[in-house]
Amino acid sequence: MLRKDVNDLLTQTDSGTPMGDMFRQYWIPALLASELPEDDCAPVRVKLLGERLIAFRDSKGRYGLMDEFCAHRGVSLWFGRNEEGGLRCPYHGWKYDYTGQCIEVPSEPDESGFCEKVKLQAYPLIKIGDILWTHMGDKEDRPPKPTWEFATVPAEQTYTSKRWQECNWLQAMEGGIDSSHVSFLHSGGLKSDPLFKGAKGNQYNHADKKPVFEVTEAEGGLYIGARRNAEEGHFYWRITPWVMPSFTMVPPRGDHPMHGHFWIPIDDENCWAWSFDYHPTRALTEAEVQYMRDGHGVHNEYVPGTFRPLQNKDNDYMMDRDAQKRGDTYSGIKGIAMQDASLQESMGPIVDRTKENLVSTDNGIIMARHRLRKAVTALRDKGVTPPGRDPAHQMVRSVAVVLPADQPYAETCKEDLAARPGQKHTSV
Amino acid sequence: MTDQTRPTLLASCASASTAAEARFRVNYPNSGRRRSRIFALDGPAAEAMFAITEAPWQGAHFLAVGSGGDVDPEATGADDLPLSHPDGTGAKLSEEIEGADVVVLISSTGENAGAAEVIAREAYHRHIMCGGLALAGTALANGRGSGAPASSPDSDPTSHVVNTLRPFASILVVARDADFIPAMLNALRA
Ligand code: FES
Ligand SMILES: [Fe+2]
Repeated sequence: MLRKDVNDLLTQTDSGTPMGDMFRQYWIPALLASELPEDDCAPVRVKLLGERLIAFRDSKGRYGLMDEFCAHRGVSLWFGRNEEGGLRCPYHGWKYDYTGQCIEVPSEPDESGFCEKVKLQAYPLIKIGDILWTHMGDKEDRPPKPTWEFATVPAEQTYTSKRWQECNWLQAMEGGIDSSHVSFLHSGGLKSDPLFKGAKGNQYNHADKKPVFEVTEAEGGLYIGARRNAEEGHFYWRITPWVMPSFTMVPPRGDHPMHGHFWIPIDDENCWAWSFDYHPTRALTEAEVQYMRDGHGVHNEYVPGTFRPLQNKDNDYMMDRDAQKRGDTYSGIKGIAMQDASLQESMGPIVDRTKENLVSTDNGIIMARHRLRKAVTALRDKGVTPPGRDPAHQMVRSVAVVLPADQPYAETCKEDLAARPGQKHTSV
Repeated sequence: MTDQTRPTLLASCASASTAAEARFRVNYPNSGRRRSRIFALDGPAAEAMFAITEAPWQGAHFLAVGSGGDVDPEATGADDLPLSHPDGTGAKLSEEIEGADVVVLISSTGENAGAAEVIAREAYHRHIMCGGLALAGTALANGRGSGAPASSPDSDPTSHVVNTLRPFASILVVARDADFIPAMLNALRA
């Protein structure tokens, strides 16, 4: 259970809210780089943290992200002409450069200098990996550039997708640390999904269906360890890191690529679910990339030409009651991503946490909320920089490992839990 | 096979997950009062726990294992365990644990593993969920838990605390600060 005022504190991210200020402390994923594929390409509308923005790539390849609406009479610059080093409003020809600076007001004499007085709010947009990242906070206080391993390995080793999720970011993110749902909701997928099957670790999953959870605080967030019985005197551990505010990784299986998520607020009732797969030491195979494109693993299929999942609330997520009865899927919904999204969206746009009844196995979620609340109030009241901004906090990996029964996993696996460029991940 | 009729009303399909439709949620309590029993296994854990017992809890009882808690679990019956309430009066484990919904063991030094076993055993026999909370920050501040010999494999304080709780806890949290105690208990409607 969470009091309403705390729920509001953690779920509201518009400009001027405490959690909004916290998200504005970080570089966050704004767009896939492929959405702005070439110089002078079509501009893209994107809403982030409750702000409607327009993204474009100018004639020199510079990325801009700014207020969607022209300062003159408020036209959407999505209709604009992206040409000769700027985005020109089609209504009366005002033109802006990638910093939001107005550089032409055709009706005014050039010499008047009028256009210099006009500037749209703009944010930096930088390409790291397959992603264009932005920092929507204080420009005097830019965080160090993101160091997430999935975004910094060579291009052929990583794949990222994003989908629109029709609910608040927090309930979506909580799904990523809610380890106890996996044995139910996703129980169908372990055998069949091409991006999971065949790992040695899977046998422990099948042999011991009731994992025990150990939640351990880390500098940047949390580790959630799920422990199952392995060989005599040993436990099989699956360790999920969560880094503030909204990054999680799924524990790996065998030599399959590792995957994880970012949950980024669009507004309080919608978020972007970013999903990535990467391998730290080898290129993804053609077959793997094809599976990802086809929506397997943590990815999904789309309504063509959009980032809206093909299975969505307008078609009841293509519920298949026969598959549910047969046990092919536990909930009747196809695919891991949509199994999660369908249930999280069903809670309503912002779930009423005053009504919930948490139990001990929900301690990962309880701790994550506790850490978020502490960080957001420390930032609001004392200006304390929140965890997760430090590049060292971002150098994390998930782990699947067999350990002797008396080992505290966070200490024993300290190295395995750290991203080590060029070194293989710890996975069974 | 019955005929499948596609729902047409807004509230009978997934599209009902809107803010507007949230207004029509059934508005009755959906759970009863909890009986949570919180046990502090050592001095620093008891200090942290007793600091928050004043809050208006739903039905939680807070109990501390007293000195002499380093018992041999084999030879210790439920009511032989030295236990006390926040006001210092003695408590009987069998009475406290009967009918409880959840048991939480808090440890910050790793001492009194025997007491942890006695409590967990009583919970287990009654099919009561038993969780563990390791206060790692307190353990570090206090140096090595006094129960572990310096040469033991778990001489690191956190691992000593973890190993005290791990055999008995169906869920274990390793927290840095004692402020997680009230956060957790509130979340659990304790
Ligand atoms: S069983 Fe967990 S939400 Fe229903
Ligand atoms: Fe899931």
